Amino acid sequence: MKQRLLAVLLVLPALAMIIVFFIVPLLASIIGAFEVEGAFGLGNFSKSFELYSSDMIFTALIVSASTLLIGVFSIAIGGYLTLGENPLAVAVLRWLYRWPMFIPFIVVGQILRTFLAKNGLMNNILVSAGLLTPLQTVGFLDWRGIVIAFVWKQTPFVTLLVSGAMASLDRGTIEAARNLGASRLRILVEIIVPQVAPTILVGLILSFVTMMSVLSVPLMINAQSPTMLTADIAFRINAHGDYGVANALGLISLVMTAGVAFLYLRQTVKERS
Amino acid sequence: MDAGAFLSIEDISVGYGPTTVLDGLNLAIGKGEFVALLGSSGCGKTTLLRTIAGFARPAKGAIRVADRNVTHLPPDKRGMALVFQSYALWPHMTVTQNMAYGLKLQGRGRQEITSRIGELQGLLGLSGLGDRKPAQLSGGQRQRVALGRALAIDPEILLLDEPLSNLDARIRLTVRHEIRALQKRLGITAVHVTHDREEAMVMADRIVVMNRGRIEQQGTPEDVYNRPASPFVAAFMGAENLLDMEVSVGPQRINLAGQQVLAMPHHRDLRSGRAEIRFRSEAATLLRPGESPPAQAGGLELAGGLELTGTVANVSYPGGHFRHGVRIGEREILVDSPAPFNQDEHVRVYVPSSALFIFNTSTDGENDRQTEAISN
Repeated sequence: MKQRLLAVLLVLPALAMIIVFFIVPLLASIIGAFEVEGAFGLGNFSKSFELYSSDMIFTALIVSASTLLIGVFSIAIGGYLTLGENPLAVAVLRWLYRWPMFIPFIVVGQILRTFLAKNGLMNNILVSAGLLTPLQTVGFLDWRGIVIAFVWKQTPFVTLLVSGAMASLDRGTIEAARNLGASRLRILVEIIVPQVAPTILVGLILSFVTMMSVLSVPLMINAQSPTMLTADIAFRINAHGDYGVANALGLISLVMTAGVAFLYLRQTVKERS
Repeated sequence: MDAGAFLSIEDISVGYGPTTVLDGLNLAIGKGEFVALLGSSGCGKTTLLRTIAGFARPAKGAIRVADRNVTHLPPDKRGMALVFQSYALWPHMTVTQNMAYGLKLQGRGRQEITSRIGELQGLLGLSGLGDRKPAQLSGGQRQRVALGRALAIDPEILLLDEPLSNLDARIRLTVRHEIRALQKRLGITAVHVTHDREEAMVMADRIVVMNRGRIEQQGTPEDVYNRPASPFVAAFMGAENLLDMEVSVGPQRINLAGQQVLAMPHHRDLRSGRAEIRFRSEAATLLRPGESPPAQAGGLELAGGLELTGTVANVSYPGGHFRHGVRIGEREILVDSPAPFNQDEHVRVYVPSSALFIFNTSTDGENDRQTEAISN
């Protein structure tokens, strides 16, 4: 009995932290989403959908597209790290691919803003190389810029997880396929990816949730409409002091991430059965 | 290399980074032959197998299959299939998918694949398990799926990398015979890597004993067992009892510390001087003082043997016979006997000439071989 009490006491600080700094604010925000001028109702949501439904679709599409591209790139890079036959190329790639992980989102936004703008570095290079005339240049500072920023920033993280999982596979499973005549692409698609699929899924879900919460990139790159929900939430609070709609928008993005989390849970349950 | 060789390994050297694993190794294997590469871990046997399979690149030398140089061909263009020690089954595929993958890669028709895999599953006793995933199979079943996956593409040469080492001891005994029977039935050429002497003896037509990246000896199981060419082979083939003695070599007889033993064919290279004597515990007989050695075929006079005196240090019963640790001078040797002797009892140990393996002593096996080469 005494020991039990001690155990409870030991857990208490951690529990208090979670309640005070996580559960209470979350509940307050959820309750706040349903509060309209002192009464409960769905006013904030109807207003949210009225003003920002295109931004919700925009957000979902951009984050989904980015997730898909991150998946493709991380499998490609991880696959090359696992199956590449040129040791130098593998070593260089292994050294290079991690760097974006250590660069904050805001800096990514800043770098890409100066790089992708109509008069940015990329177009300047293309013009001076004679590939484009100044009149043909197009800026990428719209949804494409956001996708590029997200993919550039998040691919290394997913690659890190995925290539780690690939490296810990039984090499024999790869060699057995090679022994039977499978090409490297087939080995990647038919032998390696199915075996590391759970890790890919976890990496992509974590990336999805991270991207849903990035404010700096849409603000830096895409200062126009439609934009991402994070920018809208900041705008409601900073410009209008409108916490109700901000809370409602927050809850809507929480529902989106919860959908992804549900897919993940279903997958893990399926694997364990 | 001899002209009859189907698979020939010519002067192969393989290294990983600065370390050389195989150094100028030659081996010829006939069609339909079952060859066991036997050696302790790190002797290079797996590297040799992986080089044959095409997974390790030789620094020099050539590998030929039926006079076709396959040294620089990728693993799938050599007409070989490798069975991995870990089985390396694909966990996300069913038994049938695992076995059919090679045929699918070859672009065979669905009907052909189905009938071939069905036939193989019948042959391997896997019928009815086709829809299971590897995780739902026993160790022995997984091993057979791995074998079936390799055999499905109808390879000319089957390479086996310690395929039995992950099985329970009991299953291993039956699987040995199953693989051997299958190999004979299919007439396939097989190279089998193992560190298990008995496994190599039971399964192989020819045993190749490897040590430090070189072939120590090769021959039929009887040959290697009864006529070991080096102390390493003798020890590896179970002659673990070791004694140091002065030896003087005569034309017919060998004088061992004052006793005469018959010069056997496998003592031909012997020179007078310090020698190490090796024999198996079951080849020696334990006698009480005054008791005479057992009569042998050909008569005792003709055979001759080595007699030693010592005391029993310990007795154990591994089954079938009693095993005695006998202290002789500073050494302890093991001797089997059908009846137990008492602890501390004074005994005589008799080893017939034919069971004695005598080698000139040197500090290093490498040096020994070199001096032999010079004196020849």
